[in-house]
Amino acid sequence: MKAKTKKKSRLQKFWDSVSLILASRVATVGSIMVLFWLVLAFISLFWTPYDYNASDFLQNLGPNPQNWLGTDHLGRDIFSRLMKGTQVVLLKTRLPGEGNIIIPGGVAIWGVIGSMALGVTMGLNAGYRGGWWDQVIMQILDALIAFPRIVLYLVVIAALGQGDLVVILAISITGAPGVARLARSLAMDIKTRDYIRAAETRGESVWYIMFKEILPNASGPLLVDGMLRVGYAIFAIGTLGFLGIGLPPPDPDWGNMVNEARRNIFSNQLAVIWPALAIATLVIGLNLFADGLREEMTRYQK
Amino acid sequence: MEIIKKKDRDVAHPYIPELQNLFQKGKITRREFLRNATLLGMSAAAATTFLAGCKTEEPVEEAPAEEEVVEEAPAEEEEVVEEEAAPCVKRGGTWTASMQLQLLDHPARLSWVEGANIVRQTNEYLTLTGSDNITHPYLLEKWEASEDVKTWDLYLRKGVLFNNGDELTADDVMFTIGEWLNPDVGSSMLGLMSYLSGMQDVEKVDDYHIKLHLQFGDIAVPEHLFHYPAVILHRDFDGDIIKQPIGTGAFTLEEYAEGERAVFQRREDYWQMGCDGEPLPYLDKLVYVSTDKDAGLAALQSGQVDALYDPRPTDFQALQGVDGLTIRPASTAQCLLGRMRVDLEPWDDVRVRNALKKCQDRAKILQLAYFGEGDLSLDAHVAPVHPAYCEKDIPEYDPEGAKALLEEYAAEKGLELPLKVSLATKNDQAEPAIAQTLKELAEPAGFEIELDITEPSGYWDRWTEVDLGITSWTHRPLATMVLPLAYTEESIGAWNETRWFDEEFEGILREAQGTLDVEARRSLMCKIEDIMQERGPVFNSFWKSVWNVTASKFQNVEAHPTAYDLLYEVWIDE
Repeated sequence: MKAKTKKKSRLQKFWDSVSLILASRVATVGSIMVLFWLVLAFISLFWTPYDYNASDFLQNLGPNPQNWLGTDHLGRDIFSRLMKGTQVVLLKTRLPGEGNIIIPGGVAIWGVIGSMALGVTMGLNAGYRGGWWDQVIMQILDALIAFPRIVLYLVVIAALGQGDLVVILAISITGAPGVARLARSLAMDIKTRDYIRAAETRGESVWYIMFKEILPNASGPLLVDGMLRVGYAIFAIGTLGFLGIGLPPPDPDWGNMVNEARRNIFSNQLAVIWPALAIATLVIGLNLFADGLREEMTRYQK
Repeated sequence: MEIIKKKDRDVAHPYIPELQNLFQKGKITRREFLRNATLLGMSAAAATTFLAGCKTEEPVEEAPAEEEVVEEAPAEEEEVVEEEAAPCVKRGGTWTASMQLQLLDHPARLSWVEGANIVRQTNEYLTLTGSDNITHPYLLEKWEASEDVKTWDLYLRKGVLFNNGDELTADDVMFTIGEWLNPDVGSSMLGLMSYLSGMQDVEKVDDYHIKLHLQFGDIAVPEHLFHYPAVILHRDFDGDIIKQPIGTGAFTLEEYAEGERAVFQRREDYWQMGCDGEPLPYLDKLVYVSTDKDAGLAALQSGQVDALYDPRPTDFQALQGVDGLTIRPASTAQCLLGRMRVDLEPWDDVRVRNALKKCQDRAKILQLAYFGEGDLSLDAHVAPVHPAYCEKDIPEYDPEGAKALLEEYAAEKGLELPLKVSLATKNDQAEPAIAQTLKELAEPAGFEIELDITEPSGYWDRWTEVDLGITSWTHRPLATMVLPLAYTEESIGAWNETRWFDEEFEGILREAQGTLDVEARRSLMCKIEDIMQERGPVFNSFWKSVWNVTASKFQNVEAHPTAYDLLYEVWIDE
């Protein structure tokens, strides 16, 4: 009996998670695509083929043995810039101010964390408390959803200026309403369960019930949604970069790379295609991964 | 066409013989002679034939020699016509171009060349600054300037008809100048012609003669008369050129739809004659379609349009080698100027300004930002195409020198290098490429440049306010036209984006503005360039080239430094 109640080791837990992914062909393909970029991002922390900002080559070269993906309009190695661009999306965020402080976690990741934090807090409050809380919060969220997303980005960036934190804020604000709607519907469902009644009877606080009772039971769908949102966030960074209001150059982000190369599209099409392909593969990978995960988790729940 | 006649010679500007001497001594070039002679009212043809006489080193003061020149001038022109055009000029055909079509109303209020390119097909200017940067008479038969260049006599051509049948007279010119000088109209000509305090300074002598009495001498009056809002309007013009497209131009406006298309038809009674003795223009129809640059480029590549307005360097790259297109380059005084606010730290210190100037690898910046298509520049707002340009060595990239200056500054201020600065500009033509290249080049010198690149409108909202920026400046034929706009005390609050002014500089500039002698002006420009390089507020790596890209079947097309479409002599050779 003792053996049955023994807690699983971390390794076993990790293997269980991996098995869950491997059980789904879709999730497996997705995770391989995401892993490819993650590995590239980690490598780029220590090594890129060339200095990603140095104009060391001829301009607008096609792929060649020296520059595997060719060079851009300023004679910079596209592959090195693509690798470096992965960092901005997935691995690191540059904080404003003196000292060039960098925190782990890419802009897309922090953007999604921000939108999850904001959306979950609002959604749980609306769903669990109900009444005027629900009315007010949902009206605010509906107003945000009704606003065109690009316009919201422009408003946030015009008000606060450019930079990693501002892009994170823009992604958080625009992503929060979707998360909040999901969290609200989950909270409205879960709050009818007996264990919530029990917690209320015990006299637990509202915040305790929301975050200790409801949230853990709603985490599955929220995690899958979050995964999908990383894909949306990458698109958002790409869009902002393309509009020229994203992360400031010359450190590359993929959207910016598309925007800059667009001007030379008639003489160097590949310089546009590579970063666009990078955005597409990472987003598709994340979507496949999230879809497969949802599929497997649902099956597990059944 | 005006030619030099004995009578004209008597009233010709007294400086013209001096110009001739300078040319004969090799102190000025042929181009400079032409520019200055035409500036003084001599027609281009007359000046050219005058030069032909000079080349033989015949004493041009002698009347017979001049008489000879005079008599030969028309013959020479005819010869040219016969040789170059007469056998092959064909009439008819349509010219289609891609260019954004903006809201148009009063031509005096024009702010963009695109609008001017529409208006200039129906309306014309008193003068014309050609592709060679030389200004000629146009609706004027000639002009004359007093020795102190404070009094200008403008003589109108006779027999020029508006497209409503009325003859062009001094009344139309008086009306038009009145519009320029009327603050309610809001024309940029008002500031440009600040030497006219009002219509009291403009005198109608007779129906074809107007006299300008300038408050202070300015040699640039003929160039100002070709500033793009300066088209001559009909005396009854009521403020909307689309509703009332009356002008003396070679075409009539048939249709104008903002953001869509503009259509012009040939005029039958235009005043200028073609080489075949019939009135110009040669083409039957002009069509402008409004597209953005990328769509226009694709349309040109596929042959849907014949020309593209003001191609960007990337367009130039893409269009090289495309069959059926001819690319014509032109050197200009257009630039993307780095400018530093001298009223703000750290740019108030000349060492920091000079350090950043030393960080330019000009050839590299030109190559990366403009594919090598331009002329390397000094750190002064005077271009090689300006007639009085004083040639100097182009400064080398010197990061060590820059670092020494910065270290001195930092030690004095108790700062640590790298010195962090923010460079603002717009995401437009080559500005981001210049900014990114400069950031890399300035790193070894001890600058850490943060880039603040916004959409063009975002930069134009604050272009005079940013600490350090890259601003695009358009071509102006004379340096004395641009320097007062941005480097004088009185221009602070207007276009002096750096707040820099210098007493010595202003004194020399004022002297240059009233100096016709190109050699004397060049020596003044030498000093001006030195001052700007030593303690000035701007840096500039190159002067832009521009390109006219037109289908090869079109003949007589010229690349104009300001992308002006001058189409009345264009014809098609299929």
